[in-house]
Amino acid sequence: MKKKVLSVLLVAAMTASMLAGCGAAKEEAAGTEEVKVEEEVQTAETEAPADEQQAEEAKNPVTLKTVSMFGGTDPNAPIYEEINKAFMEENSYITVEDNSQVSDEEWKATIAADFSVGNEPDVLQFFTDATANTIIATDKFVTVEEIKAEYPEYAKDTLDAALTAVTNTDGVSRAIPTTGYWEGLYCNKDLFDQYGVELPTDWESLTNAIAVFKENGIIPIACSLNNVPHYWIEFLMLYSAGEESYTSVPETAPAEWAAGLETFKTLRDMGAFPEDTDTVDDAYVGQLFKDKKAAMQLDGSWYLGGVTDVENTVVIPFPGVENQKAKAGALVGGMSSGFYITKKAWDDPDKRDAAVKFVMAHTNKDSVQKYWNGNGQAACAVEPIDGMSPLALSGLEYSSAASSICAPTDSRIDPEAYKIIVGGIVKVSTGELSAQDLLDEALSVNAARK
Amino acid sequence: MLYKKKSPLLVFVIPGLLFLTIFLYLPFLENIKNSCFDMTSIVKMPGSDWKYIGADNYQKLLTDKDLMVAIANSFKMMFLTVVFEVGIGFVLAILVMNIKKGQQIFRTIFFFPIVISATAIGLLFKLFYNFNGGMLNQILLGMGHEPVNWLNPQLAFVMVSIPTLWSYVGFYFVILLTGLSDISDDIYEAAEIDGCSKLKQVGYITIPLMKSVLATCVTLAVTGALKIFDLPWVIVPNGAPQGLTHFLGTYMYQVTFGMNNYDYGSVLAIVIVVMGVLISKAVGVLTAEKKERRV
Repeated sequence: MKKKVLSVLLVAAMTASMLAGCGAAKEEAAGTEEVKVEEEVQTAETEAPADEQQAEEAKNPVTLKTVSMFGGTDPNAPIYEEINKAFMEENSYITVEDNSQVSDEEWKATIAADFSVGNEPDVLQFFTDATANTIIATDKFVTVEEIKAEYPEYAKDTLDAALTAVTNTDGVSRAIPTTGYWEGLYCNKDLFDQYGVELPTDWESLTNAIAVFKENGIIPIACSLNNVPHYWIEFLMLYSAGEESYTSVPETAPAEWAAGLETFKTLRDMGAFPEDTDTVDDAYVGQLFKDKKAAMQLDGSWYLGGVTDVENTVVIPFPGVENQKAKAGALVGGMSSGFYITKKAWDDPDKRDAAVKFVMAHTNKDSVQKYWNGNGQAACAVEPIDGMSPLALSGLEYSSAASSICAPTDSRIDPEAYKIIVGGIVKVSTGELSAQDLLDEALSVNAARK
Repeated sequence: MLYKKKSPLLVFVIPGLLFLTIFLYLPFLENIKNSCFDMTSIVKMPGSDWKYIGADNYQKLLTDKDLMVAIANSFKMMFLTVVFEVGIGFVLAILVMNIKKGQQIFRTIFFFPIVISATAIGLLFKLFYNFNGGMLNQILLGMGHEPVNWLNPQLAFVMVSIPTLWSYVGFYFVILLTGLSDISDDIYEAAEIDGCSKLKQVGYITIPLMKSVLATCVTLAVTGALKIFDLPWVIVPNGAPQGLTHFLGTYMYQVTFGMNNYDYGSVLAIVIVVMGVLISKAVGVLTAEKKERRV
């Protein structure tokens, strides 16, 4: 009998300890409900004259849950945090609970999981292209039109073209952008001068440069085919297929797309990539370029801030491919992210105003100027910056002279389909897999998702 | 028999069973269900539907060359772990057991790699192997030789196996050393009096008396080889080069989180579980046979 009693006691203790956390959560939840009821009462009271409302706001604390990709090592993180700090100082009744992280696949999966279980933030800074399709399908965002109907000042500084650029794939505008980006060919000009090579302007001069650098023990192109071949995928397909074909979404791969990707094999056979391009990562090849061990690197405007030798590095248009169809100077770039307000915040009378203020704080002209800082494209009419580095000026010159700007392939097709292309590049470059088969597989997955 | 009635024992089992059901069995069943749908996201989003695709993913298994590489590598690694991890661990344990002074120092030295995280070891070896400026190539250049791409398709598996095996030798060394210390010195003394050499003592005394410990080590090594993930993932992410260094764990991770192919990733997870269960069972049967023979 004693044993039985002891066993029951032990089990009870174990169960109690397991449930302890749940109990705390319940208490917390109960507490939150109380606060909500309190807030509702206060909200009812706020339907009063404007100045009274302002006074009420001061007594009515709001906690805004925000998530962005301006976290961690992202170059925009310090500016984002600075704006948040200033915003909270200016609006003392608002507390921003920010959970920003650098954008990667795990982060995107976390965002998707949060939306699926109703744990979405009040304000989200996220992609606006096909990457956002899964969370857009949850119908948990407020449209810009709805917000503007109540807050006419919302996005007043944002250029119409920028607002149009971040329209979601279903044609509805929900996000307010800050900056856009371009992708271009970074060159260590001092290495070109040292070996008497002209900066490449077409396929012939590119192959010539590759041959000269290879002969002299310099890696011609810093690229990790195993990790980030994305920029080369885009430019090779764009220049091989031309703007019109490149921006289409066919169900089977056009021959010129495949021809573009087959250039990976041509370049690999020429020895254009690092010897260990199949095993190294993007950060490593980036360092090779910065250490002057590599002559060229195709990367985005965000890479500009990390280049140490701003005097001898230049950004030039993609030189081109054999039998190219795109116009010289065509570039890959655009705007593909912005600040969203969720319905969760919009339907809460206190949070609605705070969320709108928060987004406006990040997307007004002054903030956009800070985010832009002479790099990429600005979503507002910004002022030129004094004392820009030669590299920044080179980037600005490059993007301003673009003959056409096309958004990358991943903004049009399903993420899984795009990953198939990225994952197969090493095999295409070795000839183990044909580019046509790879693209057909990816596009069939994309077609199945429509 | 401790209890006449077994029903009170259930009370002890239920909390653990509940835990396993919620966090292991139910997700596994969910995984099986998911493998039959075209998952567009990692979790089902409100307002979206997953298309039913039946056994398409299971058919894909049969033609997936990368999976075959991953399975072959996992089996190769099982063999290597038994030979090198348990084998070297056993040799080291016998050698250390036979020294009078400084046993503790050797224990610490051999066990040390276990304390370091696999990620740190992976990063360390990645730096050794780097083509540009890696330690091994710096030595080669210093000696007037050409640098070598240590992670080329021919060498990559070997180069990944070296740190993987090295880092776990100490684990089996400690287990086997503990087993050896349980063998009475009297037996060895008697054998010595009878003129038995040290080598023969190992063959006729140590190995027979250590069979159960060795069987445990083999079980741990084989099942551990199936779970290899972190070290190869750090040294050669995405099964680089060209998918040749994939193991079951790394391949499943790449398919699921690298390629966003969640449904096929679910099938690969099932393959890992099924293989794990079958292999553990097989090793269990082999161990049981040995016990019977001893009886």
